[in-house]
Amino acid sequence: MSTTSAWRQQTPRDWEHYVNKQVTVTAHGQQQHRGWLHTVDPVTASVVLVQLGEAAGGCSVSVVMGHAVEQVEVVGEADEETAMRLSSLFRSEAPELRGSV
Amino acid sequence: GARLGTTAAPNERPGARRGAEMRKLYGVDTAKIQAMEAALQLNFDRNCDRKLPKYWPVIPLRL
Amino acid sequence: SSLSTSGEADPVALRAEQRARAMMRERFLRCLISMANKKIQFLMYERVTVAAVFGASDIDVLNFQVSDLQTPIGVQTEALIRCQDVISYSFDM
Repeated sequence: MSTTSAWRQQTPRDWEHYVNKQVTVTAHGQQQHRGWLHTVDPVTASVVLVQLGEAAGGCSVSVVMGHAVEQVEVVGEADEETAMRLSSLFRSEAPELRGSV
Repeated sequence: GARLGTTAAPNERPGARRGAEMRKLYGVDTAKIQAMEAALQLNFDRNCDRKLPKYWPVIPLRL
Repeated sequence: SSLSTSGEADPVALRAEQRARAMMRERFLRCLISMANKKIQFLMYERVTVAAVFGASDIDVLNFQVSDLQTPIGVQTEALIRCQDVISYSFDM
């Protein structure tokens, strides 16, 4: 668990520990977001959460801005299949960058 | 900032992390990150040039 | 974020930190790219909720450029949203 002022000041290695974990993020106004943590933007500390659907395709994404994060709590670990789905997310969506990176 | 109207100009760009600083942050992956960031920024600048968006709300909600 | 102090002294730790930062930044940038032309719901401060079609963000994530912004008081065809005004945003893939 990590509280607000702490969250933005963590190092990339600290944030990396949350990648692929199921977390509950409490944002400004006590609003809570639950999902698989896809990434933390190291520039803004914004948190990208994914809610995976039943089918292989669909999912919804919520992003909590780093400045609004009050608390991040780990509530579960991803199995191998979930981790794979999380890694491949957004990968096919950048045709203008494909091949160059 | 001239590309946007008076209510719309992001006239400062803090954290333009360039060159040596980028290299310190991203190491061997610097070129890849820089290329992605450049492509995104180009998109943003091009869209702003074409569409001339104005800030909403006019006054920031949070100062 | 800045470099952690441990990273500057120890090249192995520095490399690990750079790798972690690059992996997470790349994932975040790809997420931003994938939002283009998708309908995004924004939850903002002062309990303001809006929806818009995403265009682009500048790389420091200071502004979101959007179209067809549906606000409580009407539609604005082209708009910039200040990231500082936003608490969270969500969309479907």
